[in-house]
Amino acid sequence: MAPPMKTESLSFADLVGLWLGRAFDKAQLWLYAKLFALMLVLFICLPKRQRMSHNNGIAGSGAIRIVDDPQFPAHPFFAAGKVYPCRIRHASATFLDDAMNCIRSLSIKFSDDHLRSPFDIEMNSGVQSLFWSAVSFLKFAKSRQEKWGVEYPDYYYRYPDGLKGSEDAGRRHVTSFHNVRYYCKTPFLFIGDDGIKRYAKYRVLPFDDEPETGLERDPSAWDQCNQRVLPHETRGRNFLKYEYQDRVAREGAKYRMQIQTRQAQDDDDPEVFNNMIVWDERLCPWRDLAVIDIDRTLDWKESLRTTFSVNNMPKTLGVLPASSIYDYNSLNYLRAHSEIARKARLLSYRLFGLPPPIPDNDNRNVSEWGE
Amino acid sequence: MNAPPPLTTPRAAADPDPTRAIIAECLRETRIRYTSKGNTFFRPRLRGVNYMQVGKSKIIDSPFTITIEWLFEQFRRLRNGWNRLLDELFPRSPALPEGHRDSRLVGRLVFAAERGYGPPIHNMHLEFWGRTYWLAWRKIAEGRTDADGCFALPFPLRAARALSIRSLNLEIQKTTRAYFRDGAPHFHFDLFRAVPVAKSDLIGMDYNLRTIALDYWLYRPAATTPRAVVDEQAGTPEIYSQGRNDALIEQATPIEITKTKHLEQIDLLPGTLTIEEIEADYPINLTRCIERRLPGYTRGDDWFGERMMNGMNRGCFVPDETRPGHFWMRYFGVCWYEINDVYALPDVAILYRLKDDGLPLPVEIRLTGRLSRGDDDPFYCRAFTAADPEAWLQAKRVARVAGAFCTEVEEHFSGTHLNAEQYAVAAYRNLRLNPVAGLLLPHLKEVSLIDHTADSGLIRGYIPTATALTYRGLLQRTRDILGVQDWRGWRPMTPISAAHSCAKAETLFWDVLGAYVDAFFAEHEAGIKAHWGEIHRFADDLVTHSVPVFVTAARDAPPPDPRYRELAAERLKHYARQYAFDPDLPRETVDGELKAVSRITAARTWDEAGERDWRNLKDACRYIIMQATYMHTWINEHQYDDLGEVRYSCGGLRFGDAPSGVMGPESDDAIAPDLTRSTEMLFFTNFLSRTEYGFITRNEEGDVNPLLIRLLEEKREAFRALGVDIDSIESRTNI
Repeated sequence: MAPPMKTESLSFADLVGLWLGRAFDKAQLWLYAKLFALMLVLFICLPKRQRMSHNNGIAGSGAIRIVDDPQFPAHPFFAAGKVYPCRIRHASATFLDDAMNCIRSLSIKFSDDHLRSPFDIEMNSGVQSLFWSAVSFLKFAKSRQEKWGVEYPDYYYRYPDGLKGSEDAGRRHVTSFHNVRYYCKTPFLFIGDDGIKRYAKYRVLPFDDEPETGLERDPSAWDQCNQRVLPHETRGRNFLKYEYQDRVAREGAKYRMQIQTRQAQDDDDPEVFNNMIVWDERLCPWRDLAVIDIDRTLDWKESLRTTFSVNNMPKTLGVLPASSIYDYNSLNYLRAHSEIARKARLLSYRLFGLPPPIPDNDNRNVSEWGE
Repeated sequence: MNAPPPLTTPRAAADPDPTRAIIAECLRETRIRYTSKGNTFFRPRLRGVNYMQVGKSKIIDSPFTITIEWLFEQFRRLRNGWNRLLDELFPRSPALPEGHRDSRLVGRLVFAAERGYGPPIHNMHLEFWGRTYWLAWRKIAEGRTDADGCFALPFPLRAARALSIRSLNLEIQKTTRAYFRDGAPHFHFDLFRAVPVAKSDLIGMDYNLRTIALDYWLYRPAATTPRAVVDEQAGTPEIYSQGRNDALIEQATPIEITKTKHLEQIDLLPGTLTIEEIEADYPINLTRCIERRLPGYTRGDDWFGERMMNGMNRGCFVPDETRPGHFWMRYFGVCWYEINDVYALPDVAILYRLKDDGLPLPVEIRLTGRLSRGDDDPFYCRAFTAADPEAWLQAKRVARVAGAFCTEVEEHFSGTHLNAEQYAVAAYRNLRLNPVAGLLLPHLKEVSLIDHTADSGLIRGYIPTATALTYRGLLQRTRDILGVQDWRGWRPMTPISAAHSCAKAETLFWDVLGAYVDAFFAEHEAGIKAHWGEIHRFADDLVTHSVPVFVTAARDAPPPDPRYRELAAERLKHYARQYAFDPDLPRETVDGELKAVSRITAARTWDEAGERDWRNLKDACRYIIMQATYMHTWINEHQYDDLGEVRYSCGGLRFGDAPSGVMGPESDDAIAPDLTRSTEMLFFTNFLSRTEYGFITRNEEGDVNPLLIRLLEEKREAFRALGVDIDSIESRTNI
């Protein structure tokens, strides 16, 4: 039975209190986002010439073609049969070693430019994340405690959802970046031709439904923080990037991009925006959105220069507003406000040159160039 | 040294009326009344029951200390008052915060264990509280653990991380008291442990407090019987109620001072004190009172038979198969337990003939074992009859003393104290939501505390120095006797005659309990069935931690000598009758041990249970309340009647130096307890009989079900006719 409608009236003082509270929340979120971006600039992007996490990657280019008979609500940006040049970038976070147990990622740019684009999207392996809001992400970042390929022991110890996300998203012994399933877990805005407000999630699968590899079988809750390469590992630090280069050179890499939408309601449960909660596919089925065809890999320099931003989106497909650091949408808010960090990294390349490619040596389980 | 009072020839109760009148008068005169002696400022006082010692207890008697103590008491009152004021100023509102419950506090409660974790703690009440900067309380969440001990308390993250919140705590609350109001049991929770939660650690979703091991009603690992780990300084697992402590201090302080005076005198000038002078310093007891008016009567056959039947000993009568109207009563002596070389404790077998008035008259006493230092055959048997008046008198004394020892160690300590404690630990560990908690907990509280005190004061302190058994011997004996205590099939003693008032009263109380338990179960049937899982775990703990059936375990086995094996079989047969224990019932074997306590239920839910489980539970509850209340009260309140005169009866007679050993006259100080043991015995029997608190009908703490009181009141006159004052029946074993 539906709960009875509230009939209590708010006093003026209550309204002022609520308004002040909301203003404080927004100011706090803004401050957190700006400070976080500044920290990235000062401690990572400028001095180290690094991204925040996904440094170990390879980019490629090709084209994106919107499907001919879209089953999702019509949107001018995703008009049937429309073709966009594109760039993608696969990466392993956060270590510079493809053989470690890492989260794998796919970022897509609807243009063949390293910076500008009408639509960027960033996705990671797994359907769940390791954090779910700005405040949880900051706690996650603070709790890294990385040493020799072991990280986040306290975080996983205290936050079972973080652990679950790590188990779900971590991929070891992936045979190819191409066969991993990638999800953007926090929803975005979607206002289509009908003007109805919706929320959307995106995912990318291999076009030929090649079975996914690298899934963890019966992961150890006690040892999930250990991402080190396994004993007797024979695969090198760059084996995934080499495989991807070979694959694209040989046959190209083809993906299916899909979309999941749900209509917005006034009384939507806030958990709708929670990236830890998967939308029910019976109510919100995945629909084919586009086919991505990659026919060329980019060199190390171009792979480094290629950057992605959630700000690169049409207004009707953008980031959902966040009201506080506890809001699930605050994660994308943080991403949107870290533009300065991306620019600082590009500046650092101009000032100090590009970081060298990851060498094929025995310096395993590291996340810094350092050697 | 003063000469003992002259002993006269024992006489029979030829003229019962005046004799009965004198006995009744003495019963009235020596009856213990719980009246306040007044509380003058400089009156010495005891700190509490935990400060009780065999030797000199910590009595506060120096005016300076009393003043300091007074100041401390004022400080404590002020602090309590301040806390009450804070409670008034900052009340704990039970309302939970509004808002989307997007976070959960998760974790698991388990019992602490010596190695790893113990089993999970189910249905434990939990509250998550925040404190604001201006000290106001904010309830964030509440809930309880599930069957696996896991908890997940949903709460709005914003409420916990509000700017106003200064600190956060998960409060684990224990059931401290069950009390009855409006005919229903209510439970009082107290904070058991507060687990601080850092505000900044709460970031939404689940925050895992991991596994929390609690020192909550733990079984003492090294104990020979199921015992609770007690730490009186930490106040775990429970504490005495204030009323209980006050009653103790009020009643025990004067006798503690008397004992202290005697011990000082024995230390400084031992020759200036006699047993009679020691006795004179304590309140007069029943036998001394009667002896003053009817010299020699208490040493006579009538009194012997009457007290063995209806006194503290309440002996077990076994019909003589060859002689109708004749009964045997057995008290087993040292058996194969570790003993010292100071005290005698032979096996005693007493043959009685029932008189016309239904009271037993001893006709033969058989003593088996060592009666003197020179004896070396533990199986040598001597028979005594009234044909040799002097030896007969001495044999009756030896039999009385053996009876007192067995009653105190076996029936009192094992049968009621240790027996009740094994149920108390299992009940407190497992019963929380089930209404059976309201039925049992009021009768099981504080027994673990008093048993803990008894460990140091009596089992380790007084008894090994005043009786034949050593500490190790006592531990083994109490364990063995607990091995014949079981709720299944238990029934009260069957009266053997119209004069067997002790057995009749027992049956009457048993019937009252039957009606009470039936009514309680009928009223709370739904609740009991709904939380049947708690009963299953209660039963599980009882069986798992139960001692093995009498001498069935290898570690408890008697020596290989066939005579000991035969003695063990005899003992089991006798105890089976005495404690209504059926050794042939099917019982569970756990870790190779055949457990004495029968399983109440194997069903985890009521759906799996049946009528037999329901009946078992009712039987077990009735038995538990019976042991913790009436059975304990009987021995406890008769102790001073039968153990308040040193030469009449005591815990043990010394071998002395004479070849006759314990078969000597009462006047022989060499076989009587020494002066230290004499004053300690009188102190303990006074202390135990005099400092009772927590009676069913008085219901001092409102924890006794009014229905039980009403049912008992309805039988007041019937009890009175049997010599039992229902106002003296304790609601729990706490002394």
